[in-house]
Amino acid sequence: MKKLLFGSLVGMMLLMSACGNSKQIEIGTQTYTDPKIMAHIIETLIEDRTDLEVNITKDIAASPQIISSMEKGDLDIAATLFSGEVYNNHFDDLEFTTDPEETMKKAQEGFKEKYNFKWYDSIGFENAYAIAVSQDIVEQYDPQTISDLKPISDKLRFGTDTSWLERPNDGYRAFKKKYDMSFKEARGMEVRLMYEAIENDELDVITAYTVDPQIRDLNMKILEDNKNFFPPYDASVVATQKVLEEHPKVDKVLQELIGSIDTETMSGLIKKVDIEGKEAKKVAENYLKEQGYLE
Amino acid sequence: MELVTEYIQFWQERFSTIMSYFGEHIFISLLSVFLGAIVAIPLGIYLSKTTNNTIQTIIFNVSNIFQTIPTIALLAVMIPLLGIGYTPAITALFLYSLLPILRNTYSGIKSINPEVIESAKGMGYSSLQRLWKIEIRLAFPYIMSGVRVTTVYIISWTTLAAVIGAGGLGGLILSGLGFNDKFYIFTGTFLALILALLTDLTLGKLEKKVAYK
Repeated sequence: MKKLLFGSLVGMMLLMSACGNSKQIEIGTQTYTDPKIMAHIIETLIEDRTDLEVNITKDIAASPQIISSMEKGDLDIAATLFSGEVYNNHFDDLEFTTDPEETMKKAQEGFKEKYNFKWYDSIGFENAYAIAVSQDIVEQYDPQTISDLKPISDKLRFGTDTSWLERPNDGYRAFKKKYDMSFKEARGMEVRLMYEAIENDELDVITAYTVDPQIRDLNMKILEDNKNFFPPYDASVVATQKVLEEHPKVDKVLQELIGSIDTETMSGLIKKVDIEGKEAKKVAENYLKEQGYLE
Repeated sequence: MELVTEYIQFWQERFSTIMSYFGEHIFISLLSVFLGAIVAIPLGIYLSKTTNNTIQTIIFNVSNIFQTIPTIALLAVMIPLLGIGYTPAITALFLYSLLPILRNTYSGIKSINPEVIESAKGMGYSSLQRLWKIEIRLAFPYIMSGVRVTTVYIISWTTLAAVIGAGGLGGLILSGLGFNDKFYIFTGTFLALILALLTDLTLGKLEKKVAYK
């Protein structure tokens, strides 16, 4: 018994000292798969190009928690943040726009000024909200734009993620006003369960994320945002200036990723993880090898 | 001070929404525990009486297993069977509420001094009379502590109903986390806390009324 106690004590101390290792780069990701794949891509590249160790913390509830962990110094790099994040109450009196370039500029400048983060130019993919309809609705009504749903909206069962119903600028309340329609019922839920519900004919319309591979897998259709309602969510790697100053090589690695992965490619990688059940780390490594990043 | 005025304004603007989330939360959590209690209490009494060990083992193990299934997995399995919204949420929470009530009822009845039962027999009580007038009364503090613990944790777990489209205060909390609004997080948490405290208080009062002094 004593030995066991002693052993676990030593184990705990080792663990704690490992956490305090200053050569370790801490990367954080949200719960969705694209940041997780990006985290492994960054991890593999950093470990290939430098002698630094990388530790990844996955499934942090949402982007704001990643940002506050970076501010506290618990995380060095956010594997992926999206330009539209800038509208999530981080700044007072920020003018809302759906223009992608302006939004990116606001994010880069705002987060540099307030938090001293380096917000890189886009990785190349976008993971924005989009209204998508099930195959049944496509076959029955063949809508092209979101406005095409207006005559039938009171018959449609609508599902969305757990925050969209309450989002201030780009959420359901603003949507109802802009498109002048509301759905029969609107339910917030976990994104994976949302697709489960589409598959089981429990929902007709959802707010999809544009990289979700299930959109194609379930033969769903993304409708054109004809009133330009949704803000852009261009994906970027974000790092604290502190880690970049301490390790300039990390900056070089992260620069490499700018413009490297488009939405379709990312969607394909996510599919390998979420639908084919492969490990995110393996998928990331294979991708880097195929693209010639690794020897 | 500015924060307080802003928060009051938040309540004024969002009052009806907050109340509907709160109403959903009360409905889901209390109904789940209620259903859990009307199934688990009789089952617990039955298990304490039966001499069939196999049934005991099976029932305890099954309710144990429900307790350990991760919520999101349980909910995903339920969609094809029960769809989305209230039904799967209440079913899941009902399953989670079974074990503690079952265990407490069982040990409550088991804890009764056999001499008490013997003297009741001697006084000519039938077995149903014994159960109703003596055993349940004596085991009541145990049963109620099971119900109270379960109610408190089901109220906190009901925040998970938000991931399957049933709403509840989890909707406020997850929204707040999603777009960085502390008022939402605070309000959701605060109301869940108040609900848990008030329910526990009420159940405590009820317990005192019914149990032997």
